[in-house]
Amino acid sequence: MSIMNWGNPYDWTAVEWQSATWGERFMYIDPYFWSYFGVALALATSIIGASWGIFVTGVSLLGSTVKAPRIRSKNLISVIFCEAVAIYGVIMAIIMIGKVQTIESYPQDQMAQCYTTALFGGYSLFWTGVSVGLSNLICGIAVGVTGSGCAIADAQTPETFVKILVVEIFGSALGLFGVIVGIIQCSGASFLKDCL
Amino acid sequence: MLFILDTMVSAAADTTEISASSFFGFMGVTMALVLANLGAGYGTFKAGAGIAAIGIWKPEIIMKSLIPVVMAGILGIYGMIVAVLLSQKVKNPLEYSYKSGFAHMASGLCCGCSCIAAGFAIGIVGDVGVRGNAQQERLFVGLILILIFAEALALYGLIVSLILSQS
Repeated sequence: MSIMNWGNPYDWTAVEWQSATWGERFMYIDPYFWSYFGVALALATSIIGASWGIFVTGVSLLGSTVKAPRIRSKNLISVIFCEAVAIYGVIMAIIMIGKVQTIESYPQDQMAQCYTTALFGGYSLFWTGVSVGLSNLICGIAVGVTGSGCAIADAQTPETFVKILVVEIFGSALGLFGVIVGIIQCSGASFLKDCL
Repeated sequence: MLFILDTMVSAAADTTEISASSFFGFMGVTMALVLANLGAGYGTFKAGAGIAAIGIWKPEIIMKSLIPVVMAGILGIYGMIVAVLLSQKVKNPLEYSYKSGFAHMASGLCCGCSCIAAGFAIGIVGDVGVRGNAQQERLFVGLILILIFAEALALYGLIVSLILSQS
């Protein structure tokens, strides 16, 4: 049972859906679902990572400031590194929304090619969202845990601050890897290529 | 149905059937990056916590103790290399066969899973190692050797994933 025999799946009747295989059900999940779900994942998991980092570092910062108030302003930089992760998520979500192209209709004789191209665009944006989101999630956690250690060490021995900041910079590079790969991955996304 | 042997071994996809092969190709790109980043992040924060602990009473050895963190960061680079390489291959939707899709998915999973495993090893060994190195200087060479063996795991995954990405 192929699309050429049955026509547009959006016009299928209940009887036709009854005999559809699991592969066809998977492929007829709307490409726009995949794209927008990718956008949501990119944003939501980046922000979860940023918040995780902020609360992990924030508790240590506030607790250490009780006995060593001088560390308060300097160690806010750890919180800013975590916030940058959330900004990466917002930027990528806006870029990805701009990549979604509307398809008005399919010419009937090119149905399979056009739908395959639409699926390509949808899958590209979905997996871009997963890349960016999960990279930013771990980046936020890494920067948060390291920032927490940095605040506690700085409260006791001030000269350690800059050296442990180097570890935080390595951690924040992970979010950048996610954004770079995300941009490359969604740059090839096209819903209309070779069609219409 | 579309998951038949003919479609899987042909170099060009049959253009009268819908193809979901790009789902698996992009999954490979993502898995390579994300899992490698998970390993790199774990290594960074686990070893970083150890460095912060020893930095309090022995700040002069912090710079030497950054080695586990650098090695964890390299895992993120491996993941990015494979992800960028694979994303150049998942280009044309109409000529991307299922065979290529599954091969690229496997390539991404190989690199990603190896890097997350190496990241866990580097993080845990690095944390304990820097704490021990602060107390006993002679530990340093042993720590470096163990970290190199752990990094080699990620390298094995990278090699296999580069071979798979040529399919």
